[in-house]
Amino acid sequence: MINEKPIADQHVGEQLSGFIDGELTQQERQFVTLHCEVCAECRENLERLRALRERIGNASLSEVGEDKWRETMDDPTVQLTRGIGWLLFVAGLLVIAGIGLVGFLFSDDIPVGIKLLMLAIYGGLATLLFSVLRQRLIERKTDKYKDVEI
Amino acid sequence: MKKPEMRQQLIQLGNGAHALATQMLGNGDDAADAVHDAFVKVFRKPEAYDENKGPLTPWFLRVVRNQCLDLIRRRRPVEDTVDELSDSAPGPEASLEIIQRDQELKNAMTELASEQREIIVLRDYMDLSYAEIADVLEIAQGTVMSRLHRARMALKEELIGHD
Repeated sequence: MINEKPIADQHVGEQLSGFIDGELTQQERQFVTLHCEVCAECRENLERLRALRERIGNASLSEVGEDKWRETMDDPTVQLTRGIGWLLFVAGLLVIAGIGLVGFLFSDDIPVGIKLLMLAIYGGLATLLFSVLRQRLIERKTDKYKDVEI
Repeated sequence: MKKPEMRQQLIQLGNGAHALATQMLGNGDDAADAVHDAFVKVFRKPEAYDENKGPLTPWFLRVVRNQCLDLIRRRRPVEDTVDELSDSAPGPEASLEIIQRDQELKNAMTELASEQREIIVLRDYMDLSYAEIADVLEIAQGTVMSRLHRARMALKEELIGHD
């Protein structure tokens, strides 16, 4: 339906915001421009909104510098490298322990009782490790952020 | 996107994300924690960002916003704790006049609703397009202009009231 009111009476509201943000179609822009030429109220609003936008853009709403974010960003990197370090350390330790264990079990010089005792210790450690891993897996599965689109 | 490139972009986004979080959470320290947690999450799972689905900025801001919403949910119920927004210390190089003007603006913003503050930060402080804002706030693109305009008009009125 065509608006038959004179252009000066067709006040623009939210289109003023769209206008200063460059989010209007060419036709809408033209209309706002024409209207503001003849409407002092909307023209004043437009200027005030423009000034407000500039003021906010120049304001300092966060005093944290980039250095702080760079440091923050390093945290995950440190965590990752630390994780890799631990992984390598534990893997190496397990291999050496495994070799030692095989040598120990197949040695004829060690009594069977001692062998069983050592097996119990190693078995206990393995059980503890399994328990921790299981707990980690459960935590990961129930992590409330896992479905958050990040 | 390669990790160093992503890292650099995120560092540049830090302040904007912090401003958004501050407006949502009401104080700079909680906001810094929220942004930090968002960084950690992103770097724990960088492959979650799909370049083909859009630019990094709105995606990361959505992560920060989700983090803030989660913090708000976990908090004890409070009305709208924005009193501390005006307490952040200015940098030493800022002149007194600028500090006062910014302070006035921050005070006026505390009078707005949370959704009005966040949309103003996204558009006027971070310069996001309407499409990107819609993406961050998970609202229809058509809603952005009207919400933003209402927010700006409310802020304008508050600033006039402060003068």
